Amino acid sequence: MLESYFPVLVFILVGLGFGIVPILLGRLVAPWRPDSEKLSPYECGFEAFEDARMKFDVRYYLIAILFILFDLEIAFLFPWATVFQDFIAAGEHAWFVFGAVMVFLAVLVIGYIVEWKNGALDWE
Amino acid sequence: MEAMLEPVAQFFGPTWPLVWTLVKIVAIIAPLMICVAYLTLAERKVIGYMQVRIGPNRVGPLGLLQPIADGMKLLFKEIIVPSGASKGLFILGPILAIAPSLVAWAVVPFDEGLVLANVNAGLLFLLAVTSMEVYGVIVAGWASNSKYPFLGSMRAAAQMVSYEVSMGFALICVLLISASLNLTDIVLSQGSGRFHDMGLSFLSWNWLPLLPMFVVFVISGIAETNRAPFDVVEGEAEVVAGHMVEYSGMSFALFFLAEYANMILVSILTSVLFLGGWLSPVGFLPDGFHWLALKTAAILFIFLWARATFPRFRYDHIMRLGWKVFIPVTLVWVIVVAVWMMSPLSIWR
Amino acid sequence: MNFVVPDFYPAAAEIFVAVMALVIMLAGAFARSVRWLAYTLTQLTLVGAALITIFVPSVDVSYTFSGMFVSDLFGNVLKLLIYLAVGVALLYGRGYLADRRMERPEYYLLAVLMTLGMMVMVSANHLLTLYIGLEMMSLALYGMTAFDRDSVRSTEAAMKYFVLGALASGLLLYGMSMIYGATGALDFVSIKDALYFQTANKTVLLFGLVFLMAGIAFKLGVVPFHMWVPDVYQGAPTAVTLLIASAPKLAAFAMTMRLLVFALFELAEQWQAMLMFLAVLSIILGNLAAIAQSNIKRMLAYSGISHMGFMLLGLVAGVVSGETHNAITAYSAAMFYAVAYVLMSLASFGMVLLLARAGFEAEEIDDFKGLNKRSPWFAAMMMIVMFSMAGIPFFIGFFAKLAVLQSVVAAGYVWLAVLAVVMSVIGAFYYLRVVKVMYFDAPADDAPIHAPAEMRVMMSVNGLSIAALGLMPQGLTYLCWIALLASLT
Repeated sequence: MLESYFPVLVFILVGLGFGIVPILLGRLVAPWRPDSEKLSPYECGFEAFEDARMKFDVRYYLIAILFILFDLEIAFLFPWATVFQDFIAAGEHAWFVFGAVMVFLAVLVIGYIVEWKNGALDWE
Repeated sequence: MEAMLEPVAQFFGPTWPLVWTLVKIVAIIAPLMICVAYLTLAERKVIGYMQVRIGPNRVGPLGLLQPIADGMKLLFKEIIVPSGASKGLFILGPILAIAPSLVAWAVVPFDEGLVLANVNAGLLFLLAVTSMEVYGVIVAGWASNSKYPFLGSMRAAAQMVSYEVSMGFALICVLLISASLNLTDIVLSQGSGRFHDMGLSFLSWNWLPLLPMFVVFVISGIAETNRAPFDVVEGEAEVVAGHMVEYSGMSFALFFLAEYANMILVSILTSVLFLGGWLSPVGFLPDGFHWLALKTAAILFIFLWARATFPRFRYDHIMRLGWKVFIPVTLVWVIVVAVWMMSPLSIWR
Repeated sequence: MNFVVPDFYPAAAEIFVAVMALVIMLAGAFARSVRWLAYTLTQLTLVGAALITIFVPSVDVSYTFSGMFVSDLFGNVLKLLIYLAVGVALLYGRGYLADRRMERPEYYLLAVLMTLGMMVMVSANHLLTLYIGLEMMSLALYGMTAFDRDSVRSTEAAMKYFVLGALASGLLLYGMSMIYGATGALDFVSIKDALYFQTANKTVLLFGLVFLMAGIAFKLGVVPFHMWVPDVYQGAPTAVTLLIASAPKLAAFAMTMRLLVFALFELAEQWQAMLMFLAVLSIILGNLAAIAQSNIKRMLAYSGISHMGFMLLGLVAGVVSGETHNAITAYSAAMFYAVAYVLMSLASFGMVLLLARAGFEAEEIDDFKGLNKRSPWFAAMMMIVMFSMAGIPFFIGFFAKLAVLQSVVAAGYVWLAVLAVVMSVIGAFYYLRVVKVMYFDAPADDAPIHAPAEMRVMMSVNGLSIAALGLMPQGLTYLCWIALLASLT
């Protein structure tokens, strides 16, 4: 069971290595002559005149929170979707299992409707 | 094959599983990187011909050595780490971008039995790994400590997560039909049905019953990889090159590789989930890896075609499409498929 | 497939409230201009839930959702009291919120969700259900504390509440995980069995218990986890303070009972010692610190800390050297105390709301100066509440204290009873100071009391009920006793 994940683990390490090695290689073979002009932040030719980490639109937070809700919802639907056919094949409880998820979806949809109505999804 | 490898296995002793896995991983990554390299060339050629130009044709015959020249150039460029940047995160950004785009390939089946890790939660693994993609972007944008990367990465993150939701719902639909998280099972489940028995198995693949989901998945895939026409992230007129502004040399190349590797990944996933993977479209031709390659190439062509054809979306339109069109459509379709499966008209019993 | 469709009847009230929460949410989005709608729907929800709680579940103890949820008389009585407390608190707060342009549908939505969280908490028979209910209640309360978005104090209080509350939830969860590790069970019945058959790892269990106690102490607001109470009470809009100080105390009491008595009864010797420590500290610190306050919300906060300490005294006296025959009486004394406190808390914060008007908060004790001249009736009501809180006979607070002290003495802790009496005499000082200010000082402002009629009526009913229950406490005492008897044995 878990052995089948061994290649995945190795692949993760190789993947990270694939990121690290080219950077090291580039550092070794490419020139390395930093100067203060070169290392200053890019700002279309101007001097940077304030910190770049500024306030940003609150809607990004909203999107992030909505995403978490929806993604969690999808994560909850995964097991349901996997076994749903078994319930249909078994014949009994299929409607209950369907209904339970529909209630679950309905709660989310109502929240979604309210968000929409309140303008959380609008970008001007 | 096994017998031939026996002496080699004995030579490595207990480390053999690790070595053999590494060999297999190289056997995936090396062709993938070649594909990525020639995808960049193909992109320039295809777009060139669509715009009645020739595209790169100087380096090597028909410009075939162009990607190698590009790679060499990037390798010998200086890696700049801006003075204001958070050094550690700045280096971590591209690594976080490339690693998930490679790791996802661990569970992609190329043919029956031809998969590195035939795990039974493959789809879940894919969803998890592709979600990691956004970290590379946001870490890069934050670490650069520069305005354009910061704004670009905020946009990219919001856009990627928005389309991930509709992609997730599309996956739920596929999952409902195939009742398995294993990608090989998902492909095999498409190889049956009435049309398959008539010899027209391409009509029994998932794309037909799930047509809206198929369309949503492809479009979301384009948006998810920040490709044109959804490439406001690097909309040069607004935020220069987005989160990649401060990167140069190999650290930039990693983002570049990740983007193209992701394109190929999304294409091959579309083929596996909706277009029957390695299954042959008609009864009289044998199944095989070449079908998967062909389907993937076709989807990739759509990626390039879209870039050559459509003007860039405005950011608010992108968010509106994701949240106000795709999510309702996919939500409804999940319900439709579930009801369809329970009704007497179900074609998946 | 061994799949069982759960029985929904025992949770009918919760389901109803959950559905109504969605309805209120939609009403808030689509009928924003209809000002009274959310409030009316909320009150209807509470009435409907009360009817369902009375008529639908059976009187017997019934478990559902694979033993995660229990419906018993103890829970149902507390739920009814919670509906009452929330309903009254919303009624009191309405005018206050409207004056400050804060009467938005979201407020009522949060109140309903808080109610739902408390209901789940009260009916929890599983560590996870309890935790879900607790978080649902707490998150709604954090949001409501920050409801006055532009006020620095309100947001600061919410931040403090949230950070400390999250910490306490973390501690609680940590304790729960240890208890799960020690017993291998999450539902209270199985935990009890595991403890009874001595299959649990004692050391891990005790560590878990300590963390659990920290979480409980925070939610009750007893020393040394009381730091949030005065600041949050003071910073939150008074209508929200009223909500925080009333129904959640009942829910926290239910949580304490469910965790300690229903699940970990075998460890009574250990948790009683801890509770005694918490109770003694709370009574001392609450009463002493309240004397120094000039802000009445802060004063009531400290008085609440000491009241919660008193309430815990009832839980201390349950098991004496292995004997449990005193337990039901002691626990019902604690329950009586919690109910009495909620009644008095509603009335006292209600008075603060009554005196407040647009642009003016009656937050200082000095604002009560000469209340007798302005409104003799409400001055009398406030006097009843203050006397009752001080434990002067014959108001409900007296009997609450008496019952608790009786059980403490019966358990043999005479020193504890003496200490509690001494401290409540000291505490009487600050309650009587309010009475003195009302009756013997000249009024600072002569503005007539401006409040909606239903609030005046409710306020009077509330004050009179404190007096009436003081004269006839037997009914409520019996109700508490029978609820515990029916649920515990």
